[in-house]
Amino acid sequence: MVNNSTGMAQSVDPSRLELTDNTGIQGVLRGHRCKSCNVSVFGFATFCQSCTSNDLESIQLDKRGTLYSYTVVRVPPREWPGRVPYTLGEVELPEGPHVLAEVIECAYSDIKIGMQMDLAIELVSIPENNRVISVYKWKPSS
Amino acid sequence: MVQFQPGREVVVAGVGLHPFGRFPESDLASLARDAVTEALVDGGIKWSDIPVAYFGHVYYQGMSIGETALSALGLTGIPIINVENACSSGSTAFWQAYWGVTTGMFDLALAFGAEKVPSGPVTVTASESPERYIGSDHMMAGYALRMRRYMEETGATDRSLAQVAVKARQNATLNPFAHRNEIYTVEEVLESRLIADPLTLFQCCPTSEGSAAAVLCAKESLKKYGIDEERSITISAAVLRSGNYNGRGSDHSAFSPYRTEPAAIEAYQSSNITPEEVDLVQVHDASTIGELQQLESLHLIGKGEAWKATESGRTALNGDIPTNTDGGLLAMGHPFGATGIRMIHETVTQLRQEAGDRQVNGRHGSPSSGPKIGLAQCSGAGDVTTVHILSK
Repeated sequence: MVNNSTGMAQSVDPSRLELTDNTGIQGVLRGHRCKSCNVSVFGFATFCQSCTSNDLESIQLDKRGTLYSYTVVRVPPREWPGRVPYTLGEVELPEGPHVLAEVIECAYSDIKIGMQMDLAIELVSIPENNRVISVYKWKPSS
Repeated sequence: MVQFQPGREVVVAGVGLHPFGRFPESDLASLARDAVTEALVDGGIKWSDIPVAYFGHVYYQGMSIGETALSALGLTGIPIINVENACSSGSTAFWQAYWGVTTGMFDLALAFGAEKVPSGPVTVTASESPERYIGSDHMMAGYALRMRRYMEETGATDRSLAQVAVKARQNATLNPFAHRNEIYTVEEVLESRLIADPLTLFQCCPTSEGSAAAVLCAKESLKKYGIDEERSITISAAVLRSGNYNGRGSDHSAFSPYRTEPAAIEAYQSSNITPEEVDLVQVHDASTIGELQQLESLHLIGKGEAWKATESGRTALNGDIPTNTDGGLLAMGHPFGATGIRMIHETVTQLRQEAGDRQVNGRHGSPSSGPKIGLAQCSGAGDVTTVHILSK
């Protein structure tokens, strides 16, 4: 979505989700790879969480991963701006990191550990502060 | 790896507990004071002898609330330290008290914790953090992800998970301090309201109010303060660790070792006590899956086996590794800052053979000798784990 003053879409967290155009629904997941121990992490890093090296490079993470586990949240936390219930999926990326996000476009009866999931980006309204932000989600690979 | 070398021997000299539940009439300070007073009376310890106090709590109830809580006992000018370490705030306060005494800084130390947890789902992050909008900040959803994965990897059934909750309630019926002690069946657990599949309401701990306290003393100083050595219980290991990176970030794997396992190994190494010697255990059962994974991470039961051990009764009061003997978080309730010290209270009570109808003997004890060694493990979001081993 689009911030009224700048016309630019706003990511829920630019260190994790980099938007690639102004629609707010196109983008990639970002992370860091440690050049010393080769461990990759999702999102922001200054030092490697595994070996503490600061020799890191910013990387783009794969848009497809494997569903590692999931749950359907029936009682959401306060401030949750989305549908209820919602499915929360933990997806393992080929680079290693696990990324937790809502699973969309998937019937509960169809969801299974091990299924392939693709990145999906949705615009979400945050009523409390009158914003619309872009949030990363997972959907079953077509 | 043993991070720190203990100095002189430290004992728990007195323990106190306020019932867990909902107490709209009592503020946090008065809840805390009740447990502290009881711990002092239990140990025959004078308040004016206490040189330092550590107070575990999480939710904001006013600044320097530990000072407010203790002021009614008399303003003695001692250092009072307020400790926040999520659900392990109380056990962190206890850990600090231990290290204050073993190193010789203090002869005595008070550790206490209290909480009035608001009802509803527990979140970890600050308001307006990205996690709130991503939907990933939900304590029980995290447990549910782990539970699903555990069931997938081990073949554990939902009935075996539900049995953890049934056992907790059975133990709690023997504990007048418990928040929840209505008995229910495996079927009733499974049919209770879904919170986050496959976790049902009765498989999640209640959020509670309550308090707990313990007074620690250098063993060599017991006589000086007129404390009964017979009822004192030795602290054989006190370990606190934060998380190690597992190479994956968010991880709800069945056997993630990066929380409790390193702390457990350190506790066993530093005390020269093996898992096989432990007679009873209190673990962080914020949900049913929590108990199973903690038992395995503590090496008390083999990896992927704790659900079978629960089904066969090994973790029951009369089993060989009685677990959460007072009802645990699941039935005793979970006032965050008090929980870790509540576990110490129960371990001490059992080792003193003062647990009444819920008294256990463990695998090495007999009805005459009682249990010899108890372990208490408490987790906190963030990640924090404490492991304490007590022995007599």
